[in-house]
Amino acid sequence: METTAPFKEVIAEVMDAGGDAFRYCYQCGKCDTVCPWNRVRTFSIRRIIREATFGLTEIDGEDIWRCTTCGNCPQNCPRGVNQIDVGVSLRRVASNYDVFPASVRSARTARASLISEGNPLQFERKKRADWAKDLPVKPFTEGMEVLYFVGCYLSFDPRMKKVATAAADILTRAGIDFGILGARENCCGESIRKTGSEEVFKRLARENIKTFIENGVKKILVSSPHCYHTFKNEYPEFKVNFEVVHISQFLFELVNAGRIRFTREYGKIVTYHDPCYLGRHNGIYDAPREVLKKIPGLDLLEMTDARKDSLCCGGGGGRIWMDTPKGERFSDIRLQQAREIGAEVLATACPYCITNFEESRLNLAYENFLEVKDITEIIQEAI
Amino acid sequence: METQEGRIKLEKEPVEGLSVDSPEKNNLIDVMVVGGGISGIQAALDLANTGFRVYLVDKSPAIGGKMSQLDKTFPTNDCSMCIESPKFIECSRHPNIEILTYTEVENIKGKAGDFKVTLIKKPRYIIEDRCTGCTTCVEFCPVRVPDKYNQNLSMNKAIHIYFSQAVPLITYVDPETCLYLKDEKCNICVGVCKNEAIDLNQKEEMLQVEVGAIIMAPGYEVFDPKLRGDYGYGVMENVLTGLDFERLLCSTGPYEGEIRRSSDKKHPHKIAWIQCVGSRQVIAGGNSYCSAVCCAYTQKQVILAKDHDAELDAAIFHNDIRAFGKDFERFYQRAEKLSGVRFIRSYVSVGKEIPETKNVTIRYATPDDGVKEEEFDLVVLSVGLTPPADVKGLANKFGIALNSHGFCKTNPLNPIETTRQGIFACGAFQGPIDIPESVMGASGAGSLCSQLLSYRRGDLARERIYPAERDVSKEEPKVGVFVCHCGANIGRVVDVPSVVEYASTLNNVVHAQESLFACSTDNAQQIANTIREKGLNRVVVAACTPRTHEPLFRDTCREGGINPYFYEMANIREHCSWVHSKEKGNATQKAKEIVRMSVVRAARLEPLQEFELPVNKAGLVVGGGIAGMTSALSLAEQGFKVYLVEKDNDLGGMARRIHTTLEGLDVQTYLNDIIRKVYRHSLIRVFHHAAITEAAGYVGNFITTVNYEGRTEKIKHGVAILATGAEEYKPVEYLYGKNDRVLTQLELEAQITHGDERLTAAESLVMIQCVGCRQADRNYCARICCSHAIKNALKLKEMNPRMDVYILFRDMRTYGFREDFYREAAEKEVRFIRWEPEDRPQVEAVTEDGRPILRVTVPDPILGQRLAIDSDLLVLSAAVIPSAGSSDIARLFKVAMNPDGFFQEAHVKLRPVDFAAEGVFLCGAAHYPKHITETISQAYGAAGRAVTILTKDSVVASGAICEVDESACESCGACISVCDYGAIAFCDTAKGKKAKVNPILCKGDGLCNTRCPTGAISLKHYTDEEIFCQIDAA
Repeated sequence: METTAPFKEVIAEVMDAGGDAFRYCYQCGKCDTVCPWNRVRTFSIRRIIREATFGLTEIDGEDIWRCTTCGNCPQNCPRGVNQIDVGVSLRRVASNYDVFPASVRSARTARASLISEGNPLQFERKKRADWAKDLPVKPFTEGMEVLYFVGCYLSFDPRMKKVATAAADILTRAGIDFGILGARENCCGESIRKTGSEEVFKRLARENIKTFIENGVKKILVSSPHCYHTFKNEYPEFKVNFEVVHISQFLFELVNAGRIRFTREYGKIVTYHDPCYLGRHNGIYDAPREVLKKIPGLDLLEMTDARKDSLCCGGGGGRIWMDTPKGERFSDIRLQQAREIGAEVLATACPYCITNFEESRLNLAYENFLEVKDITEIIQEAI
Repeated sequence: METQEGRIKLEKEPVEGLSVDSPEKNNLIDVMVVGGGISGIQAALDLANTGFRVYLVDKSPAIGGKMSQLDKTFPTNDCSMCIESPKFIECSRHPNIEILTYTEVENIKGKAGDFKVTLIKKPRYIIEDRCTGCTTCVEFCPVRVPDKYNQNLSMNKAIHIYFSQAVPLITYVDPETCLYLKDEKCNICVGVCKNEAIDLNQKEEMLQVEVGAIIMAPGYEVFDPKLRGDYGYGVMENVLTGLDFERLLCSTGPYEGEIRRSSDKKHPHKIAWIQCVGSRQVIAGGNSYCSAVCCAYTQKQVILAKDHDAELDAAIFHNDIRAFGKDFERFYQRAEKLSGVRFIRSYVSVGKEIPETKNVTIRYATPDDGVKEEEFDLVVLSVGLTPPADVKGLANKFGIALNSHGFCKTNPLNPIETTRQGIFACGAFQGPIDIPESVMGASGAGSLCSQLLSYRRGDLARERIYPAERDVSKEEPKVGVFVCHCGANIGRVVDVPSVVEYASTLNNVVHAQESLFACSTDNAQQIANTIREKGLNRVVVAACTPRTHEPLFRDTCREGGINPYFYEMANIREHCSWVHSKEKGNATQKAKEIVRMSVVRAARLEPLQEFELPVNKAGLVVGGGIAGMTSALSLAEQGFKVYLVEKDNDLGGMARRIHTTLEGLDVQTYLNDIIRKVYRHSLIRVFHHAAITEAAGYVGNFITTVNYEGRTEKIKHGVAILATGAEEYKPVEYLYGKNDRVLTQLELEAQITHGDERLTAAESLVMIQCVGCRQADRNYCARICCSHAIKNALKLKEMNPRMDVYILFRDMRTYGFREDFYREAAEKEVRFIRWEPEDRPQVEAVTEDGRPILRVTVPDPILGQRLAIDSDLLVLSAAVIPSAGSSDIARLFKVAMNPDGFFQEAHVKLRPVDFAAEGVFLCGAAHYPKHITETISQAYGAAGRAVTILTKDSVVASGAICEVDESACESCGACISVCDYGAIAFCDTAKGKKAKVNPILCKGDGLCNTRCPTGAISLKHYTDEEIFCQIDAA
C-alpha cells in the first residue's frame, strides 16, 4: 500500500473552486450504490470525494469527468455532500491546469464552438433560426407574451428540430403570442459550466441576460430541462429573475385551460422517462405524466426506475459531448427497461435524453418496436 | 360529553380490606404519570412504593408501551414480555396506583404542587368492571381488522383485547371499523356477552384531577419509512421494519413465533438488515440524530433469527457500529462471529423486487469490490426512533417546550426536568435511549417528584391488607395445579389440557386447571378465589420461572389466605417448551413429569415466617463526584440524613478535570454550585480523605466503618449508594510517556482551558480513538471518547480555525443527538480517518524542516492508500477504566462486578441502579463510562430507588433461609467460611459457641448445608425431605 501525505495546496484549490462540500462525507457508500455508472462499470464517486478530502485527486484522470450530474447521489446523501459541486470544482481545477484525458477532447471542441458560435455543435450562429424558416414563427419582440427559448439541440440537431417544429406548431394552434430570438439566442451554458468552464458559462449567461433585458423578456418557455435549470436556479446568481416555464408544464396548462384539444387517438403503450434536470433537479414529475394521461387511447406505464429514482440517459454534466464506449451507455439500459414493460414509445422531455436514446435505439436495433419521442411530438400527433 | 367530577372508575381489582381511613376524595392524587410504557411503569411503582398515590395514564387500551411489542431485549436476550409483564401486575395490584387506560390529558392548569388536570377517557365501549376478558365477543365479531399490536401483520377483530397479557385484560372496540359504530349495522357482540359488558353507546368522559406533580413518559414512535417510500417499504411485501420483525420473532406474533414472509408465508433463508433508516441524515423527512438503539437491536434480531434457523444467511448493512453500551461490544462480537452472518459496511439502495419470488435486491458498495447487487428473501429496515405522535399538541397541552428534534427540551444539568416546574420527563421522550436508561430516568423522575412532594408523603397512600392466614397444620395436603399456556410460549409445544388431566390424577391434587396467562391480574385473582373456595392449602403453578413470577404467586397465596411458602413453581417453559420446541410429544411428557415432581414437593412444604426489621433512615453515599453528590442531595432534599464519603480532599471527582461538555455546559460552574449545595445542606455530612474499612450489616441496618483524617467512625445507615467513579487509562501506546507531544484527551482539555502555548502554536493535531479499549484485555467501548474527541476538536477549531485536526477512529460512536456535533466537526473541516485493529496507526517522532513532529501513518480504506500525517501534537482518546477503589468497595459491600471491573447491576434492563444485594445501589461511571448528563440522570435514579427503602419503617426478609440445629452443631466453622454473605457467625449459647444464621443476610443459597459435617444446618423451603421426595418422583 502506497503512503502519501495530504496535499494541502490541492485541498485549498478544490475548496476555492467551490468543492468544499467534500468535508461532510462520512463514507457510507450510499452514493456509489445509486450511481448509474455502477450499472455499467466500476466507478466510485465516494472515492473521488475522499481523494478531494486529502487533496489526492487524480486531476488528469478519466474519473473526474464521468459524473453526469444526474443528481441521484446528492438526493440520497445522508450527510448533505453535494457531489455535483465537488465534481465540478475538480473539473475547474483540471481546466485551470489545462489537463484533459482523451475522452474529454470532444467537449473541448464543444467549448470552442460555444465561444465562437454560441452553440456547442459547431453550427454557424446565423443559422440558428433556420429550422423555423418555413414556419409561421415570429422573431421575439417586446410585448410578446412568451419567449420560446429554443436551445442549441432543437435549433441545430436534425432529430431535435422536429421537436422544435412540433412545439411551434402547438403554440401557434393554441394561439400563443410567442417569438424566438434566432441568432440572438446563445447556449444557456448549463452543461459547459458542469465541465468546469466557469468563464464560458458566465459569458453565455451574461449575453443571454443582456438579450432578455434588451428585448423586454418576461416569460421564457424552454424545451430543454437544462435551459430550465440554469435559467431558474443559476441565472439568479446574476441578480435577475425571469419567469421560466418548461414546455411540459406549459402544455399541461394549455390542456387544462382547454386551449389544446385532443382530436386523435394515440393508441400506443407509452412510458415516460424523467430527465434528471426536470425531475430530480427541479421536482417536475407530474406535469408531463398528467399531459400524457389526457391523450385519448394512450396507455402510460412506468419503468423500474421512475420519478426520483429515474435512470440517467448519460448526457448531463457535459457527457453529451464526450464519448462513452459501447457497453457503458446508461441509455441502453433505459431502452431495455422500456422494452421489458412492453412499451412501444419511450417518451421524454429533454434533447439530451432523446439524442442518447435515439443512438441506443439504433445500436440495440430497437427501431422496429420502440419509438423515442418528446412529449411535444406526441401531443402534436394527437391534436 | 359528560363531566363526572370525582368519579373515576378504577381498572383494578378492589383492594381488599383497604384501611378505612384512606382518603375518600378520589380525584386528589400525588403524581400523575402519563404514559404506561416501561419508564412510566417504573416511575409509578417507585413513587407508589414511597408513599405517594399515583395515576398511571395511557392513551392505549393497555399499559406496556413499545417494550411489550418486543420479543427479547439486548444484550441479555431476556424475553421482553416476561420481564415487563410482572410489572404490569405489580402496578395493577398496587393499592397506590390507579391505571387509567384509553385516557388522554386534555389540559393542565395550576402549578407545581397544585396542578389541575383534565383527562379525557375515550369510550372503549366496554363496561370495564363487567368484562371478564372471556373473548366470546371477539369470536363472534364479524369484522376482521389488521392487528395494530402485531404491526398490522396479522388480523384481529373490531372488538378485541389489545394483547394477550394486557393489563387491564379486557376488550375494547375499534371505533374505526366496528360496524355498529360506523353505521349501526351489527351488534352481535352485545348479544353474546353474558355479562352485559358491552355498551356501544358509551361516550367519552371528562375527569378532573388535582395533582402534585406530573411525569411525562409518552415514549416514542418508530420512524415510518412509508412516508418517503424508503427502501420500498409499504410497496414491497418482504420489506419490514425492525419493529415488524420483533413481532415476527415473538411467540404472540403473527405466525406464533415463526419467521415467515408476508408474501408467501415461507421461511426466509436470506435476510438483510439495513441500518440507520430515518436516522443520521440531513435529507428532508429524515432525522439528523442517531437513534442509539438500532445497532444493538439489529444484532439481537440477527442472533435470534439465527436461533430460529441455524442455516440462515444474514447480512447487516451498516455504517458505524455503535456498540457503546454496557456489554454491547461483546454482544456485537457474538452476532458477528455467527456463521453465515456478514456485517458489511455500506449504506445501500434497493434495486428491485423480483416479480416471481417477491425477493428484493440490495445494492451495496465496498472499497474492494465496488457495487454489488444481491438478492434477499426478506429485508428488515432498522428504523430509528422519533418523537411520539402529535408531539406538538402534547407539548401545548402540558405547557412544555420541545427541542429542535421534537423531543422533550430538558435541562442538561437535570435531564429529567422539563421547562415547566413540577413536570418531569423520562423514557425515550428525553431523546433516543434504551430500556435501562429509561428505567434509570424513571426512578430519577420518581426521586424528583418525591423531593417536590416530600411534605405530603404518605398523606394519600393506602396499604394492602391481607386476609388472616389460615392454619392448615391439621389439614391433609390439598394441592391445586394451574397449568399456564403462557400465550403460545408453552401452549404451542406442550399439550396443556393433557398436562391438566394428568395433574388431576396425582395424589393430593384436588383441583387442576389451565390458564392462558396465569400471571394476568384476572387469572391471579381467580387462583386466589379458588384457594378459598376449594380450601386449597398448596398451590402449584406450572408456568415460567420463579425468578420473575414467584413473588406474584406467593402474594396470590396470601390473598387466598394461606402462607405464601405453600406455593411451588413448575417451570415448564425455560426447562421444557423453550428447549424442546421441536419435540412436542416428549415435551408434554416432560411437563407432566415436572408437574408430578412439583406436586410431591408442594405437599411437603412448610409454612415459613418472614422477618421484619426496622430501617435506619440514613443513607451512605460512597464517592463525592457528580454522581455521588447528586444522589446525596436528592436523598437529603427528601429529608434523609446522608453520609457522603470521599477518598480525596475535595469533592468533584473526575468532573474537576472536565471544563465543558459537547453541548456547551460550563462544568466547573455547575460543579462549584453543587459542591456548595452539598456543604450547605444540613442533612449531609461529608467525610474527606476517607476510606471504608469495613461494611457490615444488611438492608435497613448497615454499619460501615470509615477512616477519615486520622479518625475512625462507625456509621449506621439503611441504604448505600456506591458511586466510586472511573479513571482515564494511562496509555502505554503511541509514545505516550515517552514523547511530551503525546497527550490524553483530558490533558488536552486542560491545555485548551489554559491556552497552552504549544497548543495555540500547533498547525496540526491528530487524535487516535479507542486507545486501551475495544481490545482483548479491555473488551468494551468506553462510550464517551468519541464525543469527547469531537468536543475538543471543535474547541481547537474555535481557537484556531486553520489548525488541521484529524480524528483517527474505528467507529464514530456519537450516539443520540451527539451525531449533530459529529457533522458540525466535519463542517469545520475536522478530518476523520477510519482504522481497523489489524492495521492500526503507526506513530514515529521525526524532525521535519528542523521542527520536531510526530508522523502518524494510517491506511485509509476508501483511498486504499496509507496516509502520513505530520502532527505537532498527538492526542489519545484513552479508555475509561474503573477507579482503583471500586473493587475494594465491591468486596466490602459484597456486590458483584462485571468482567471489566465495573459494578454489576441486579438486572441489566429493569434494575439498572440496584445491586443484587438489597439496599445497595449504584450510579455514575463506576457502573459504566457515561456522560455527565447521563450520570446525573442515573444518580437521581439511584436516589429514587434508595428512597423506596428509606421511606419504609421496616424491611422484610425471606423465610427461605438456613437454620442451625444447635444440638448437632460441632462448632467447626465450615459453614461460616463458605458463606459468601457473611450471614453465619458463632454465637455464645448455653452449650458453648454455636453457628448462628443472621436471617437478613442469609440469601438461602444452601452452600453451608453441603459443608456441614453433621447436617446441623439446613435450608428452610429446601429441606432434604422436600428435595429428596421431589427427586424420587422424577
